[in-house]
Amino acid sequence: MVITTVGRDTDNNPSGMERHMTIKKTLLASVIGAAMTSAALAPAAQANTTLRMAYDADPVSLDIHEQLSGGILQLSHMTFDPLVRWTKDLEIEPRLATDWERVDDTTLRMTLREGVEFHSGNAFTAEDVVWTIDRLKRSPDFKAIFAPIEGATAVDAHTLEIKTKKPYPLLLNLATYIFPMDSQFYSGEDSDGDPKDEIVKNGNSYASRHQSGTGPYEVTERQQGVRVVFERNDDYWDEQSPGNVDKIELTPISENATRVAALLSGDVDFIAPVPPNDLERVRQDDDAKLVTMSGTRIILFHMNQERVEAFKDKRVRQAFAYAINQEGIADRLMKGFATPAAQLSPEGYAGHNDELEPRYDLEKAKQLMAEAGYEDGFEITMMAPNNRYVNDAKIAQAVAAMLARINVKVDLKTLPKAQYWGEYDDRVADMMMIGWHADTEDSANFHEYLTACPDADSGAGQYNAGNYCNPEVDKLVSEANLELDQAKRAEMLQQMEQTLYDEAAFIPLHWQNLAWAADTNVDLEPIVNVMNFPYLGDLVVEEEE
Amino acid sequence: MIAFLIKRLFHALLVMFVISVIAFAIQDNLGDPIQQMVGQSVPESEREALREELGLNDPFLVQYLRFAVNAAHFDFGYSYVFNQPTTDVVLRHLPATLELVAAATFLIIVLSVPIGVYSAIKPRAWLSRFFMGVSIVGISIPVFLTAIVLIQLFAIGVSWTPFPADTGWGAWLNDLITTEGGMPAYGRGDPVPVFGTWETNFASLEGLSYLVLPAISLASIMLPLFIRLIRAEMLEVLQSDYVKFARAKGISPRRIYFLHALKNTMLPVITVGGVQIGTLVAYTILTETVFQWPGMGLMFLDAIERSDIPLIVTYLMIVGLIFVITNTLVDLIYGLINPTVKLTGKPA
Amino acid sequence: MTTLTSRPKSRWERFCDSYLLYSFKRDLIAQISLLVFIALVAVAVLAPWLAPMNPYDLSQIDILASELPPFWVDGSDPAYLMGTDAQGRDLLSTILYGARVSLIIGFGAVLMQATLGVCFGLLAGYLGGRVDAFLMRLADIQLSFSTLMVAIVVGALFKAIFGGGTFSDYAVPLLVLIIGLAEWPQYARTVRASVLAEKGKEYVDAARVMGLSSRRIMFRHILPNTLSPIFVISTVQVANAIISEAALSFLGLGMPETQPSLGSLIKSGFDYLQSGSWWITLIPGVVLVVLVLVINLLGDWLRDVLNPRLYKG
Repeated sequence: MVITTVGRDTDNNPSGMERHMTIKKTLLASVIGAAMTSAALAPAAQANTTLRMAYDADPVSLDIHEQLSGGILQLSHMTFDPLVRWTKDLEIEPRLATDWERVDDTTLRMTLREGVEFHSGNAFTAEDVVWTIDRLKRSPDFKAIFAPIEGATAVDAHTLEIKTKKPYPLLLNLATYIFPMDSQFYSGEDSDGDPKDEIVKNGNSYASRHQSGTGPYEVTERQQGVRVVFERNDDYWDEQSPGNVDKIELTPISENATRVAALLSGDVDFIAPVPPNDLERVRQDDDAKLVTMSGTRIILFHMNQERVEAFKDKRVRQAFAYAINQEGIADRLMKGFATPAAQLSPEGYAGHNDELEPRYDLEKAKQLMAEAGYEDGFEITMMAPNNRYVNDAKIAQAVAAMLARINVKVDLKTLPKAQYWGEYDDRVADMMMIGWHADTEDSANFHEYLTACPDADSGAGQYNAGNYCNPEVDKLVSEANLELDQAKRAEMLQQMEQTLYDEAAFIPLHWQNLAWAADTNVDLEPIVNVMNFPYLGDLVVEEEE
Repeated sequence: MIAFLIKRLFHALLVMFVISVIAFAIQDNLGDPIQQMVGQSVPESEREALREELGLNDPFLVQYLRFAVNAAHFDFGYSYVFNQPTTDVVLRHLPATLELVAAATFLIIVLSVPIGVYSAIKPRAWLSRFFMGVSIVGISIPVFLTAIVLIQLFAIGVSWTPFPADTGWGAWLNDLITTEGGMPAYGRGDPVPVFGTWETNFASLEGLSYLVLPAISLASIMLPLFIRLIRAEMLEVLQSDYVKFARAKGISPRRIYFLHALKNTMLPVITVGGVQIGTLVAYTILTETVFQWPGMGLMFLDAIERSDIPLIVTYLMIVGLIFVITNTLVDLIYGLINPTVKLTGKPA
Repeated sequence: MTTLTSRPKSRWERFCDSYLLYSFKRDLIAQISLLVFIALVAVAVLAPWLAPMNPYDLSQIDILASELPPFWVDGSDPAYLMGTDAQGRDLLSTILYGARVSLIIGFGAVLMQATLGVCFGLLAGYLGGRVDAFLMRLADIQLSFSTLMVAIVVGALFKAIFGGGTFSDYAVPLLVLIIGLAEWPQYARTVRASVLAEKGKEYVDAARVMGLSSRRIMFRHILPNTLSPIFVISTVQVANAIISEAALSFLGLGMPETQPSLGSLIKSGFDYLQSGSWWITLIPGVVLVVLVLVINLLGDWLRDVLNPRLYKG
């Protein structure tokens, strides 16, 4: 099987482990030290409506191809536009591409919007998209995602053809990651003689300091780790956009409680993420409002069949699945800030199978253990991070306690995320926790990384710490990845979920919810979505009386 | 004097050297920084390239030497998490901690001197006994628990109705033990910028309100010690011959207590006190954790959790420096007040 | 005619006549403290037999019974007298077991410090010279960093060296070691001072003239004479060690939440303080304070009675 999509295990916000941290020591110290970097300065616009927002971190770079992370994608949606984007209901909506059609199984023809200008004043054409796709295929973080793409050609100034190596049903999903960059602006060499389009990880390239996109905002001031100021693009092409915010000031506040306090004291108008322990505080505040949404990140435990003989027995795995009370965890530990899960795909995903429900049933679990000959249980080790997911260590404790009911003795260890992933890669415990969000917003991605037969060469099952392997499911998903009929494809993926459920390939716990909070006059609901890319260009802030 | 300072400088360098070697030696155990820099979907080959580029594959000695040479220029490297020079990060968090320590020190001085002196002059008064009783209870309450109780009482609020609310006295008693809450207990609020990254909580009433609870909890750990120390020293002084002589001469008690006796009491108090103020910095780790006070202590714990090695090393070095400096200052001041002390001798 | 029998007094009789007992009988606070202390130690030691459930036995924990308040608050469950924590553990049982962990670490750490401190103190005082200078310099540096700081740093280093997993497996001995390493200077200084005072005395000279070995002189002759300050320090240090353990656990550098000590119980409850579940934090907090308080009160009383030469500051 060939991995055709890429997932990531990060928050959609940039606090995640992939938050890109520069550790360049002395070589670049002097350059980065001059933290004040102004990007393509915009004409000073008269700012009427200002939105002050606080995230847990600011974007690590202005180069949107330097890192694949929530923070960078949030930035991309502010200063660039994708070819197409997801709506709130996970439908594809046209942006810079107005129309598209399949020419044949491997070719997609897209019509591009006319009359769009980059911040630099250059006109937007199909050549820019071709250039951007080429650059994406060079980016260390993005190249895996774009591997299925053979290449793109400009048919004319506003017609584009994207060719894939094989029939690829997720091409439009992928197009949500294509934010055309200003090819003219990024061509040539900078004052140091380095090419302007160079991608340097945690470095100091031209692109990491300068931007020219088509997006609703331009960066006018940026001080790394302190603040970023965005101003509205006066010539923004999307005149339908209701957005009325002229200026956005983004301040990173990494301490959860401080961020909440900043909102409640009125220092900022919009914060994300909202820590679960403070949800109640925000909800009860009259001047603030809370928007929560069932998320798409699945939290689950793997049962390692290579380490524990008993896990090879389907009945034992099922017994484990029956012993876990997902609703209890979501209700008690997560305070309702999670949606109990029985499968990988959240609602709205092609593979989401409505028939699968959490199956807590202690008697059934005990009975299955007895049938498998493990009435007296056995001992296993368990490992979970303690600062990666919401309440991760507490969830692991609760799961350990639930397993004790079927006489399984759990030796639980929890580690900070900095140490956890090394242990995860080595598969050092019998049960390990992981959370996963599919970058492609597609069910197949979950399977490819989490439950496919592990294969070091193809990268399949890279995070399958259970070593569950069912070649038939793999085959089904490979076929689904070549199936261009979306209805048929959905059926196949739902079949995949059904099989994984029946065989108890893993223990799903819940999808972590998302939360944003803002002043009451900020009209948040229409612009937030499960991907956690608030479409700030369309944000409406009502006049305060 | 100069020999003393040189000795102390040597002292400081030694401490820092040891810290840096230990921190460097264990960095492999603190976790892999690469894991935190790239996405999980990034293949191993890309990670290896990055590791090579950052010099993480070099032998220990090479890495250490590179660090040491830079450290000599006050360049301790870049924080993995903040993406900035670690010295900048630590210095940015320093004002918050110093303000907290300053506020707590202020509380300690203002409260411990009068209480200590009073309970020495009137050891048998019920108020003195009360203070002594409270102070031993105070010693027995860990600082984080004081902080938690303060949060419960003044930030969250307590409403208790153990007494019958329909009677006048019951309602009054209920009111008495019911607290409103609402005091800020998280972070620094919106401190006023002074210059550069220095922001102060002292410049506005709102800023001060954020400082109150953390400062009280931090002070609570040292206050009982100081009260007891001042009392003990004062009692000793009051029994000395010259005080008896002064009494016999008919000098007013007030003059004896506050001019002569207090002066002699303060000598050992300054010595112990100076060292203890350094100790306060250690307790800020606990206080800052509870109140999410964005100072160095909180930053240090975060750095441990995120295995931000350069930041951990820098914090330990700077705190080491602060300790050595305060101790040296204390010894110098002690030497100035009491010239009979030879500075080259064993530090007090 | 009657003969006077001057039978030597037994140890017990000597104790009965002692000033120690005399003053104890007259000091109400000391009596109450000792009583409370013995009671706490007893329930902690007997926790496995007294506690309504075993908080380490996960099969007895029910997540659906989490965050139940203690009996005097509305919504409580009579099965859980002191309520439950966020995982659904019975709080009373957890506190009893937690107190046991705290006491084990407290006493263990003091034993550790005393051993280290006494040995180093004796060596420094008796041998003098380079050894003395080195050990006392080390003690100076450690004390100037404050013992808590040293404990936090050593704790963080240990956690890093052993990795979070191994650390929790051996949390008790490691914490004993950490607190022991952090606090030995207190003992060393006191013992050294006593040794210096005793060294010049005639009986030591006499012993040396008799050709006794240094080790014998140190342990058999000098050490017994420094016992009373050691005893007094030890009381206070047990209280300090218990607080240090609680502080480390509160910072996440101590006992794991699956085998909570009082400190880690307080920490685990702190997250729930804002949502109104104050009992998970405050009830173990009260137990911790009472435990430390009675030990401190006993220490105070001992110091007044024995009035030993202590290193000041």
